[in-house]
Amino acid sequence: MPAAGTSPGGTSPVLECRDLRKSFGDRVAVDGVGFTIAPGETYGLLGPNGAGKTTTISMICGILARDSGTVSVAGQPVDVDTPAAKATIGYVPQDLAIYPDLTARENLGFFARLYGLKGADAKARIDDVLAVVGLTDRAGDRTDQYSGGMKRRLNIAIGLLHRPQLLVLDEPTVGVDPQSRNAILESVEALGREGMAILYTTHYMEEAERLCHRVGIIDTGTIRAEGTRRELVALIGQRDKVKLTATGDLAAAARSLADFAGVADATPNDGGLELIVDDARGALPRLLQTAADAGLAVTTVEVVEPDLEAVFLHLTGRALRD
Amino acid sequence: MHAALAIAAKDLRQRVRDRSAIVVAVIAPFALAAVFSVLMPSGGNEFTARYTIINDDGGPIATAFIDGPMAALTDAGVAELVEVASEAAAREQVDAGELDAVILIPEGFSDAVLAGGGAELTIVGNTDATLGTEVARAVASAFMDELAAIRLSVAAVLHAQGGAPDPAYAAYLAERAQRSVTPITLAGTLADSRQLGATTFYAASMAIFFLFFTAQFGALSLLGERRGGTLPRLVAAPIPPWAIVGGKTLGSFVLAAVAMAVLVVTSTVLLGATWGDPFAVAILVLGAVVAAMGITALITTLSRTEEQAGSLNSIAAVTLAILGGAFFPLARGPDILQQVSLLTPHAWFLRGISDLGPAGTGIGTVLLPLAALFVIGLVSGAIGLARAGRLVVAR
Repeated sequence: MPAAGTSPGGTSPVLECRDLRKSFGDRVAVDGVGFTIAPGETYGLLGPNGAGKTTTISMICGILARDSGTVSVAGQPVDVDTPAAKATIGYVPQDLAIYPDLTARENLGFFARLYGLKGADAKARIDDVLAVVGLTDRAGDRTDQYSGGMKRRLNIAIGLLHRPQLLVLDEPTVGVDPQSRNAILESVEALGREGMAILYTTHYMEEAERLCHRVGIIDTGTIRAEGTRRELVALIGQRDKVKLTATGDLAAAARSLADFAGVADATPNDGGLELIVDDARGALPRLLQTAADAGLAVTTVEVVEPDLEAVFLHLTGRALRD
Repeated sequence: MHAALAIAAKDLRQRVRDRSAIVVAVIAPFALAAVFSVLMPSGGNEFTARYTIINDDGGPIATAFIDGPMAALTDAGVAELVEVASEAAAREQVDAGELDAVILIPEGFSDAVLAGGGAELTIVGNTDATLGTEVARAVASAFMDELAAIRLSVAAVLHAQGGAPDPAYAAYLAERAQRSVTPITLAGTLADSRQLGATTFYAASMAIFFLFFTAQFGALSLLGERRGGTLPRLVAAPIPPWAIVGGKTLGSFVLAAVAMAVLVVTSTVLLGATWGDPFAVAILVLGAVVAAMGITALITTLSRTEEQAGSLNSIAAVTLAILGGAFFPLARGPDILQQVSLLTPHAWFLRGISDLGPAGTGIGTVLLPLAALFVIGLVSGAIGLARAGRLVVAR
């Protein structure tokens, strides 16, 4: 879990959406979704395909007219017919929104014009974002000659061109090779560190855990739970598990560790100890010191933390990738 | 406005890179016009039949037929009368295809007409020259019908006098009636086959036929943006939704207008087509572009996919071209086809180009075709644009 750049409640939110609703005929796609994102915060919308993630961000970006609810970005109301407010948002759609018969530089130049960038300023920004996504050397190539990962990176670069206050990334790593995926995640982390507010949708639990300060778990058009990973895990009452492989008086060590603050249970087993603790990562140094003081020779340590997959399963009764 | 210009410029750049678009817009129509004008030099609306008349009568009625309607046909350039020594020789030339038809006026024809008895003209036509034969038959039939009407009139006058007719007065009436045979005027029967040369006809008809494939690019690319995922990104940009539709429309208009202009210039310079007054031609071309864009926009926005839209537009392009006389002159078709053709931009465009002619008449002569083209384009285009707006912003 990354350290939040800015406390969600400490400053005026960059994005504030309330009670968003959208139906397509009789099917309710989004039903009362609302959340805020602070400057420098990365907020994850985690949910399976069809949960309502793309519909939600389409309403936030002013692409899709909403049935009800409000959206404001940097204090400006956003809707389908508010062009000026849209300038505050950088949108990176799930589909590759680039022109294959144009070069990367031509693609960027076209969108720069749409965002009002001209002349030297536009050229400088194009060079900047090409560098950010590592495509400077291939900027003159037609994008139909790019790999899938390169296209994804260009897709992100277009969203960054105009220095948006809110960057909206809709499943940006779908169908990407591991190397490009890692490059994309590193870019997102860097943008967050620079203070950009980021809305990141994904159905990959690992990405949400790595990138997002807070996560909203969305399913069937509603946000089922929201908070930091630890807050979400706490919701389901699960704790971390620490497995120690050790030699020595395991029973005595178990008694000493059981009295340790935050340890719910300490049980000796064949070749070691198994501990149930509230915050394994935070407590681990002192747990190891206590075990050593009890005369144990610890050879391996394994920490098992409940993840968002478990949270999602608990909240919805099904797995993220169902 | 800058956003619409940016979108139009981007679309044009893509079209220019897509060589197939250039082929459809310029190369194919020019090549086909060139091929047709070479293969069918007397095609288009030009028509000249070759006849001979075997006059075994030599009387006043036969002379009236030859000097009247047949002379009118030759004066109009529709028929050429050829001297042939005998009926047998004429029949041989008809069989050989050297003549379209021979008109036989039998001995005693005039006397029979003046005496009020049965009289007939015989048309022997070449089986491969059906149009030439039909023209000869129609002219002869019209002449005989008029003779019958005159004969009735003379009889009515004599009957009104009562008693036996004065031979001198009867002869006087017959002579007046003979002179009163209505001269055939070709203006009415050939009103829809204005004098366009084959080269100009095929250049104009191929230009407007392929215009329907060029003009659809803008509306099609809107569906392409939606399929390719770039449309949401355009909508997410800080531009009004109309700028997207406007940019597509502008790009398509420029491409279609430039393609037509190139075709007009190249067909004039390289093929010798005579389009007429440049300003009037330019306005007619703009009208045709507007009409083609309107119809293709309407069809495209009624479609779900690019493939469906492409197929429907192709069907419409071919159907309208056939109905509009772009593939064959309407004058050779039935009357109903000529009426239906008025619903097509092709017919109005070709009529406009024909009306201009090579003689240098100006825009004043093509106001009706221009109005028709713009009405067709603006009505269908307005519906198409409204539907395009709904494509852009999902609600």
